[in-house]
Amino acid sequence: MRTLAFSLLLCPLVALAQAPVIEISGANFRPLPIAVPLPQALNDGARTVAPEFDDAFFFDCSAAGIFQVLDRKSYLADAREGFTASTITFSRWADVGAEALVKVQLSVDGRELRGEMRLFTVSSGKEELRLVHVVPLDQPRKLAHFFADALYRQFTREPGPFQSHLAFVRRAGRGKDVYLGDWDGKRAVPIAQGSINLLPVVGPQGDSVAFTSYKSGKPALYLQRAGGAATQLVSSGAMVTGAAFSPDGKRLAYSMAQGEGAQLYVADAAGGNPQPLTDTPFFINSSPTWSPDGKRIAFVSNRAGTPQLYVLSVANPKDVRRLTFQGNYNQTPDWSPRGDLIAFTARDERNAFDLFTVNVETGKVTRLTQDQGNNQEPSFSPNGRLIVFNSNRTGASMLWVMTAEGQNQKMLPLEKGDYSTPDWGP
Amino acid sequence: MTKAAFAPVSLLARRPEGPLYRFLFWSALVHAVLFSLAVVWAEIHEGPAIDLDQKPIKATLVRQGTPRDEKLLPRIEQPPPPPLEQKAPEPVPTPAPPKPVAPSPVAAPAPPKTKQSGEKKADPRQQLMGAFDKMSKSKPDTTGAADGDPNGDAAVAEGEAYYARLRSQITRFYDVSQTIPDAERIRLTAQVAVFISPAGQLERARLARSSGNDLFDSAVMAAVKRAAPFSPPPTHLRDNLEKYGVVLMFRP
Repeated sequence: MRTLAFSLLLCPLVALAQAPVIEISGANFRPLPIAVPLPQALNDGARTVAPEFDDAFFFDCSAAGIFQVLDRKSYLADAREGFTASTITFSRWADVGAEALVKVQLSVDGRELRGEMRLFTVSSGKEELRLVHVVPLDQPRKLAHFFADALYRQFTREPGPFQSHLAFVRRAGRGKDVYLGDWDGKRAVPIAQGSINLLPVVGPQGDSVAFTSYKSGKPALYLQRAGGAATQLVSSGAMVTGAAFSPDGKRLAYSMAQGEGAQLYVADAAGGNPQPLTDTPFFINSSPTWSPDGKRIAFVSNRAGTPQLYVLSVANPKDVRRLTFQGNYNQTPDWSPRGDLIAFTARDERNAFDLFTVNVETGKVTRLTQDQGNNQEPSFSPNGRLIVFNSNRTGASMLWVMTAEGQNQKMLPLEKGDYSTPDWGP
Repeated sequence: MTKAAFAPVSLLARRPEGPLYRFLFWSALVHAVLFSLAVVWAEIHEGPAIDLDQKPIKATLVRQGTPRDEKLLPRIEQPPPPPLEQKAPEPVPTPAPPKPVAPSPVAAPAPPKTKQSGEKKADPRQQLMGAFDKMSKSKPDTTGAADGDPNGDAAVAEGEAYYARLRSQITRFYDVSQTIPDAERIRLTAQVAVFISPAGQLERARLARSSGNDLFDSAVMAAVKRAAPFSPPPTHLRDNLEKYGVVLMFRP
């Protein structure tokens, strides 16, 4: 006990000769309470586009996982409050629990939308960030994502995920269409329609989509830019599914049916020079996903009887390691761009599909979703901090986003429909 | 014996009425007597005495389930219910304002196990004479624990307990923004000088050394301010805590 006493009464400082020092650690890390008031529109043109900007910006901040965006109904500050540190009454923001305040001003000049964002620390009233950005008038959401990324980077020193792209499938009558949109699924353009098109993957530049289509009768891989024509990636005549681009965008992994099984192949990004990765004639190997360094591929195989996750080395495909030993139906793996985790869908003993992560090194499986309908097909954001997935918890199969730890689950603001297999790409 | 004597009687056959009425009458009578006896007995005998001062017996249902099969996928455990009886950090009785002559640390009360028989209330003679016998009251208790410090360490222990309480109270409000990057968290250290009045009020708190991160600095200052007021410091620390304060070194 005496040692503890002395550890509490540590070396007194010179300036505070008589003051003992107590060490306090074990902080409770929690999302930053931030106030995001409505953007100020400086002219009529800005007033027209402000709601759309605000929808996107507010949703980005809410879904980021690092902020606790305070309810606007609680704000006490005057709605006409100023935009500079000297004209803001910070005590009013402190009163509602805000630790940071972000203000945006919009103005329209001709065909351009100009936005200015300022970030303040509420306790000190200090301006932390000031940013001006101009976009075409019809792209207020693009401006919102730009500001949200800047905000994310300001706090985390990491790239934000909001200017990236999302590819997904939406059921249309008897067919399934592939779309490519902003990260939140908005501004989506159809890539492939009029047949059954599945398993889209955002291309390395974020402007194209590789997908599996049944338009020729058999499933085959295609690559298509928005508004462009589809080119077939692999033309072997066999059934080919589940394309995955390597992180450097130079190689493509896919699964090709052979006899009773399906084998993994790796080829050039355009589909040339295919090389087999697996050789298990009576078993199915599918759903490849690359490690961030491009040296390993995780995939699903039923070689042990049930679908389980495996990892192989691309340079030495014989070097295969089984990754999951829990559950009897594990599928749709997606390797985190941070490298440590693989997210996947698993069917548990209650026959519910839920999302899990497995630590690649330790094999530790962590559950992300539970008791909320069926949750499937996870895909990490390019910075590895968020996961998009589909869930039928509200009835229809919609797309949702959450943190990589399973927190802060939010539905993407899409119109009601039947969505599946999202892929979050650059 | 006739054949009819052995024939089974139908359950629906009509039965003679006399005996049934008699049976019902006696049955009702016996019930009424038993009921009256029960009422009379309850009036005469009192139930077990209820002691309102008795401490309630607290029983906690602890379910020790079988461990989950390792082959099954994990489930998210529901957070356990909060402990029934949390040790409140506050309830130190407020001592009287400081007397001109502060008692020396040696005079601090000894551990309870060394209580003398003289403290017992049961001695009526002592109760009667005690009011006049000032000498016996002012005499300090010189006995201590067998394993205690010969010079007395009660004050140190008291100070230690106070600082530990201070620390746990502030830690409860030590919320730091998740937005601070992992790499930066390792390096963060901030020092706050805190001055506490004899009543436990936060006189002032100032950032003695900034961490270089505004969010962290404001989080630690907020933790100190939200944790106040504190419990009144022990007598021997009052002057120091008011004049020189205490330095809180925060790390994540």
